Amino acid sequence: MDSKSILPESDKPRVAILRMEGTNNEDEAFHSFRRSGAEPEYVHINEISRGHIDLEDFSAIFIPGGFSAGDYVRAGAIFAARLRFSVMDKLVRFISSEKPVIGICNGFQVLAELGLIPDIGGRQDRVVTLAPNISSRFECRYVYIRMTSRNKMFSARFSNGKPRQVPVAHAEGRVLASDMKIIDAIDENGQILFRYSNPDGTGCGYPWNPNGSVKDIAAITNPAGNVIGLMPHPERVYYNFQMMGNEKNDPNGTGKDFFDSVVDFILRK
Amino acid sequence: MPGRPRKTVQTGDVELIGAPVEGLEKLSEDLSLSLNRDEMIMLAHYFRDLGRNPTMLEIQAMAQAWSEHCCYKSSKLYLKKFLSGLKTDYTILAMEDDAGVVEFDDDHAYVVKMESHNHPSAIEPYGGAATGIGGIIRDVLCMGAQPVALMDSIYLGEIKENMTNDHGLTQRFTFNGIVSGIRDYGNRVGIPNVAGSVDFHHSYNNNPLVNAGCIGIARKDNIIRSKIEKVGDLLILAGGRTGRDGIHGVNFASVRISERESNKRAVQLGNPIIKEPLIHSILEAVDQGLIDGMKDLGGGGMSSSVGEMCYAGGTSAEIHLENVLLKESDMAPWEIWISESQERMLLAVSKENLERIAQIFKKWDIEFSVIGTVKEGNNLVIYNGGKKEMDLSLPFLTSGPMYCRPYRTKVPDRKETALPREPQNFNELMLKFASDPNVCSRFRVIRQYDFTVRGNTISKPLTGFPNHETHSDCAIIRPLEESMRGLALSIGTAARMVSLNPYNGTLAALSEGFRNIMVSGSIPHSIVDSLNFGDPEKPDSMGEFIESVRAIGDFCRKFKLPVVAGNVSLYNGSSSSSIIPTPTILFTGICENVTAALSSEFKGDGNIVVLIGNSPPDLSGSLYSIYSGVTSYDAPGVDIDELSRIYSGFIEAFRRGFVVSAHDVSGGGIAMTAFEMSFGRGIGFSIDISDVSHGRTTQKLFSEAGNRIIAEVKEKDYEGFSKCFTDVNLVKLGRTGGDRAIIDDMGLNYVNLGVEELREAWDHGLDNYI
Repeated sequence: MDSKSILPESDKPRVAILRMEGTNNEDEAFHSFRRSGAEPEYVHINEISRGHIDLEDFSAIFIPGGFSAGDYVRAGAIFAARLRFSVMDKLVRFISSEKPVIGICNGFQVLAELGLIPDIGGRQDRVVTLAPNISSRFECRYVYIRMTSRNKMFSARFSNGKPRQVPVAHAEGRVLASDMKIIDAIDENGQILFRYSNPDGTGCGYPWNPNGSVKDIAAITNPAGNVIGLMPHPERVYYNFQMMGNEKNDPNGTGKDFFDSVVDFILRK
Repeated sequence: MPGRPRKTVQTGDVELIGAPVEGLEKLSEDLSLSLNRDEMIMLAHYFRDLGRNPTMLEIQAMAQAWSEHCCYKSSKLYLKKFLSGLKTDYTILAMEDDAGVVEFDDDHAYVVKMESHNHPSAIEPYGGAATGIGGIIRDVLCMGAQPVALMDSIYLGEIKENMTNDHGLTQRFTFNGIVSGIRDYGNRVGIPNVAGSVDFHHSYNNNPLVNAGCIGIARKDNIIRSKIEKVGDLLILAGGRTGRDGIHGVNFASVRISERESNKRAVQLGNPIIKEPLIHSILEAVDQGLIDGMKDLGGGGMSSSVGEMCYAGGTSAEIHLENVLLKESDMAPWEIWISESQERMLLAVSKENLERIAQIFKKWDIEFSVIGTVKEGNNLVIYNGGKKEMDLSLPFLTSGPMYCRPYRTKVPDRKETALPREPQNFNELMLKFASDPNVCSRFRVIRQYDFTVRGNTISKPLTGFPNHETHSDCAIIRPLEESMRGLALSIGTAARMVSLNPYNGTLAALSEGFRNIMVSGSIPHSIVDSLNFGDPEKPDSMGEFIESVRAIGDFCRKFKLPVVAGNVSLYNGSSSSSIIPTPTILFTGICENVTAALSSEFKGDGNIVVLIGNSPPDLSGSLYSIYSGVTSYDAPGVDIDELSRIYSGFIEAFRRGFVVSAHDVSGGGIAMTAFEMSFGRGIGFSIDISDVSHGRTTQKLFSEAGNRIIAEVKEKDYEGFSKCFTDVNLVKLGRTGGDRAIIDDMGLNYVNLGVEELREAWDHGLDNYI
């Protein structure tokens, strides 16, 4: 058992896993946080807007994947609209206190929609879009990602640049910007946290970049690095036996390193 | 909840008593009852004895209850005859409620079910397939279980020809529509789709089949029955509203699809975004012990749910239709009663728990209303705004007629398949054969389904290096966070074999499913069947059905396997011909430790490739015989005693750690099996098939007969491995290694191809179609 798992209950950082109708990757996120020693809780956004729950009480916020409200409009748009309407100011305060806010898959789309990433210049403009995959298809496959920034949260476990196996499952995950200069800027700012890669790190074409993202972007952050949007699903590969091929023999799954990094970051603060 | 006045359409009494026979038949047609002349006469007599004519709602409710879909009138005699008494001590509920319930471990049960959604998918492929997934999830949910995996077997017409069918749809449109429907619903609800099959045959041109399966996990003490036993309980309808979508779905599914009439109204519309919170709220209520009985609303709508639940629990009910939440306010009482609108659940809840369950629904924004009360007595009574619309005996309503239809068992006039000419160039043949739509990889379909959501899919539908995988034999789900125990799942059939010989062919399908579970090192545990056949009023079709069910009974008795759930779909085909008989079999196995499960791809160089089991040199019903245009006349027999010996030996060898990888021999014979094993990691092989059988090279390569498995075993373990088997034929074929697929026979080389080249051909076979 991990040393953090035996922290006394009261010292475990509380993590809010946000839900609304159609979010559906929350169970694996819940388990991942708990395995890494946090105290996750499901929070329905109705409970926040009705004032039953205060986000201030949490050490991190996680926005899971899924198809919030069916994604019939634009992926993540409705979830984002409801967050903007009910809790935007609280969310911004939460972020400025340097607590982690992580959105995966549909959660990434929500954060981009709200302008919380890349948030260059702090204006929360929606400048990055997650467009339909170039293949025009839903892509469920395992790919690899490499860390390509100096983000404090992940540097201890991911900074060696080694490609790490992760699953993706989405139809809209192609990172695009209204202006290529924006992408260059977030690249220069070190906001491209992870990029897709082939297994040996020597290149990256389809299907290793499953959606056609510019610069093979798999994850981006805000300038401070505590708001993170990523398309792949580390929460589905916590243990080695959830991985594929040779990585089934690794000591653990990519997800363990990912969630351990987040929990360590919270505890270090 | 205040009642509101309703404008009604087509109510009042239906003139049944004293009507002439032709009048009764016309009435059945005019009201879309799909009841035949004899059934209408029975009803007329019944109401004559009651001394009154039925209301519109009553006659519509009778038509629902007596449809083939709801009462299994053609099939139940044979299901009972061959499949009863197949319960094992670990079976908790078999063929009783909406889904089968089977022990998983000391505290948990798995809940499993499969259903066909054929007729709707023929007319409206996208919506029909999507609601097929929606319906099967509700079947598992209503037992109180968290759904953990979806499966689907789909059967489509001849995909290579792009002509329109009787419904004006091309096969590619239908194929894409069905896959998109399954994808969008399953992905949106967040239940991984982990196993499936895709078959093409011209007999499905006008009548594609969609068989959807779902498995869930529940605490044993949380299992909710599909029956109502507590008098005084409230009946709650929760989820989607009731509308005119899906009226007469079951009647439509119980006759041949008409070429003229538009049946679109009979196809329901699914909404995964109501379903997803409905799942959460129902499971929360189950955890708090608030639900006394539950059933999903599928075919027949409230009419069949309320009736069947009360009848099963020995109670009755009083219903007030004015309290049903509607999509359209001008619906007639009978339309409300038989609507098959999706995403609805019927719950029996005690008065004390109403407030608590209301809180849960409110949190999830789920609409619900109290539609009635559970009563003592025999008669189901329905009111609409004070007017009595139904007062009928439940035993009469739910029993339905039972038929012993005339049938004919086909006796094949010839045994042997004529042999196709031996090809000149086997390398060329293999590249073409591997890319044939019936043979090639299913990744174009599989990758559209989210098979990793929930993070519990340990053995995926594909296996090997990422983006370089091969097919798995079964998927393995780890349903509980605290345990390494898994559920192994496989779904499919051998329809071509069944069409040649329903008994042998069904055994072949069962043998294949059994081996799919076994080669992962899991223990076959239970069966669910979805029996898709043609017109039961045709003796040949009825004969096929009976022989197929007889085979399931014999197989399950031999291996002490329970048939825990199933469904029967008849009248599949067009006016001129039926589909080939298609009994889809869903096997569930228990994997004792998911981290030890085997997969199908070769893992290392220099290991021994061994063929387990006898190889009858028979190409009948094989994909190769179809590929080369040769007619088959009979399906090879299946020696289930041999399968039993293979099973004991294989599991022993697996437990002792002697098996590196294993794959069952099925479509495409030894050739495709060995190829597929080489694809996952690009590890080649060199084998010699001289000792496989006394047949010709094509027979040895492509025969699908027998109970065979190819396994990869390390040299040092081979002696121990072979000692695990008693009275089982083992043939050492050759070795793994290199990057080429090499096959020799009688001193001559027949195949010598790069694994990558072959894999490319196989991988892209469906690219032009989906």
